[in-house]
Amino acid sequence: MKKLLTGNEAIAEGAIESGVEVVTGYPGTPSTEVILTLLPQEKELGIHIEWSVNEKVAFEIAAAAAWAGKRALVTMKMSGVNVIADSLSSVAYSGCNGGLVIFVADDPGVSAGMPEEDSRYYAKSMVVPMLDLASQQECLDYAKVAFDISEKIGGPVFLRSTTDISHVASDVVLGEKLNIKRKAHFERDIVKYTKAGAAWCMAQHQDTLNRLTEASKIADNYISESGIKINKTHIEAGSKCGVIYAGAVQGNFQEALKRYNLKLSWLKIGMVHPLPEERIKKFLEKVDRVLILEELDPLIEAEVMRFAFLINKKIDILGKFDKTLSLIGNYSFKKIKKGLESLLEKKFEVEENYEIIERAKKLEIKRPTSFCIGCPHRGTYFALNKAIKNLKYKKDEIIITGDIGCTILGMSKPFESCWTEVAMGASIGLAQGFKWAGIQKPVIATIGDSTFFHAGIPPLINAIYHKVNLTVIILDNGWTSMTGFEENPGTIPIKENNNFRVDIKEVCKGCGVEELYVIDPYKSGQSIDIIMKAIEYPGVSVIVSRRECALQAKRRKINLPKFSIDVAKCTGCQICLNSLACPAMVFHPKTDNYKAFMEISSTCTGCGLCEHICPFGAIEVIKDGK
Amino acid sequence: MENNIYIIGVGGQGAIRLGQAITNYALKKGEKVKFFKEIGMAQRGGPVHCEIRIGEVFGSRIPPYSSDTAVVMELAEGLKALEFVKPGGTVILNRKKVYPMDMMTHPEKYPQEKEIKELFKKVKSKIIWMEAEKIAAKIGLPVAENMVLLGALSFVSSFDKEFMLEVLKKSIPRELDKNIAAFRAGYETAEGMDK
Repeated sequence: MKKLLTGNEAIAEGAIESGVEVVTGYPGTPSTEVILTLLPQEKELGIHIEWSVNEKVAFEIAAAAAWAGKRALVTMKMSGVNVIADSLSSVAYSGCNGGLVIFVADDPGVSAGMPEEDSRYYAKSMVVPMLDLASQQECLDYAKVAFDISEKIGGPVFLRSTTDISHVASDVVLGEKLNIKRKAHFERDIVKYTKAGAAWCMAQHQDTLNRLTEASKIADNYISESGIKINKTHIEAGSKCGVIYAGAVQGNFQEALKRYNLKLSWLKIGMVHPLPEERIKKFLEKVDRVLILEELDPLIEAEVMRFAFLINKKIDILGKFDKTLSLIGNYSFKKIKKGLESLLEKKFEVEENYEIIERAKKLEIKRPTSFCIGCPHRGTYFALNKAIKNLKYKKDEIIITGDIGCTILGMSKPFESCWTEVAMGASIGLAQGFKWAGIQKPVIATIGDSTFFHAGIPPLINAIYHKVNLTVIILDNGWTSMTGFEENPGTIPIKENNNFRVDIKEVCKGCGVEELYVIDPYKSGQSIDIIMKAIEYPGVSVIVSRRECALQAKRRKINLPKFSIDVAKCTGCQICLNSLACPAMVFHPKTDNYKAFMEISSTCTGCGLCEHICPFGAIEVIKDGK
Repeated sequence: MENNIYIIGVGGQGAIRLGQAITNYALKKGEKVKFFKEIGMAQRGGPVHCEIRIGEVFGSRIPPYSSDTAVVMELAEGLKALEFVKPGGTVILNRKKVYPMDMMTHPEKYPQEKEIKELFKKVKSKIIWMEAEKIAAKIGLPVAENMVLLGALSFVSSFDKEFMLEVLKKSIPRELDKNIAAFRAGYETAEGMDK
């Protein structure tokens, strides 16, 4: 059967077909949809699927499930691998019994703001084999291959994709579902599962290296269920030029071969760590000039240079070191075409519309992003800015450290509050650094609820213990909204038989926060006063700004009041628009027949901030909420 | 046969639904399909674009100068499509402007309709103008703007109209009749312009 699936959906399908029994992860673009696809099927499949509090916890759960003999999958974006690394390096040494697959999605081209990190380095440093995905069919096939190899070698396997694979849909052939129901079983074996002493650790290191060699051997001749060879060599007789490639570049590379009718040899690498050394050496024997196509860092390219050295052959190697291609961004058709033109030393076609496209680029308009209609964060940042102003500070003298997720939009116009964005939970750690560096004026950290649970609690405890004078504002909207409204421990209970939520206020209290407030960001007046008080407090003060994500509240049919503008009273001054940048507001400029005025469109969700702001009392409730 | 369709608009216009409808149609027709979507900050009024590739293709993205048809749902966003339209291909220009916040008070900063049109002419596009929202509003469902454009696109791409209607009937969750009427109106408008 064929089905249109995105890469991430195909991985979910592949995991089901593999008989996976435990799935964990933390949301992160572009990896989130694997679990989003699986979650609604949890009951039917009779397996455990969860959004864990962070990637490290998710990984540990999956690892122990695999130690107990189950097939387990853990998912994350590349930033998440940084978080699991500590546990991963130990688990990799110990190996596993059931299959343990770590799915990581890299984001070359940055579809969601974060560093363009290349997770393949982790495969090397953690001594874990890695399969690199080149098509949606491979996503399904290789999920199964990864479990198979993991169990054959007795160690975890990385499954890596990139945005252009994960977020593109293609027709995918489905396979048979393996029916695996294993009884959990774990034997005490401290030589394998602990790290006590040099001898055991070094023996485990050797085991890990052996598993790597074994994985490479298995992969090199592996043909997946739908007939895909993991590593594949194509030799074009009569051509001395070749391409070595891996990952998402495959589509555009094959497209260019067809479009320009190119005849050249190529080697596709499906397992990027460890590389198929003998296969690459054999390939290099056949070519004099080779182009390496891999997004992000030149990992394969560096190894190809080493292999060329080992076979003692002078080969022209084109890629990133010689600056034919860039380390930055994903590889569009244009970039790959350019690479192939350099390889073959000829132009395939001239770019004819260059000037027109340049002109169009100049005319393009920017659409600055702001908070969604009704977003409670708008209220929090509005109140925070007002509080700073009321305390007679200038905006550019109060450092506000921001964090990951929707809350960082507070850096944009019109609020321009946040100064920094580093990593999950980092806002609270950074704020302490600024204080110890000697910043005299108040320092404020803002962070979201899911981010706080993920990595915000240890730095908060640190601040309390070391008695740092700072203010932390936790913008608690009850959802992990940025990545698609996933649940977190603080989410309003949505599951059957679960009416429990972890209350961030209680967490803060338990950590020892003495100056602790809860505010409603829709109530500006009160919020401003409390934020002022908190900033003035000489020690750790925490404000939990609590109001459900407006989009989720709307979905859950929570009705708020409806607002409208009394056009007669509206002067068209735009104070509301300029201070809130609410997308529900429409400005009507002055015409020959009528004065300028604002309109609140039907998309308004009723946060009521504009009513508070309007100096002319032109905004009024037209329908009460319930 | 290869058919590349490039769709661009802003959040809330239903660009992805439009793409999904074409994708469903092609898949039900037994074609090979690739569907790329870029959603980004759609919830917050940002640009949205998707690409559908039907037939024997390899890459998931439309190479430059290769889209057979482009649907520009929002005029200024259409500037981004210029790099992809095939000389001699068709572009459906929806006469709709969505101003970003800072342009609401300065609409003169928005690119001129005339210049956008000229640029598409220069890349040798066949232009079809649509006022999709107005057509949809007449039917009583302004948000069916995307269905009007799907109708126009279906005519331009010589899609099997009845088959498309069957596919739509199975996939539209609400206001089926009005959506279908919007589709038909779009189809007929494009057909009328061709005569």
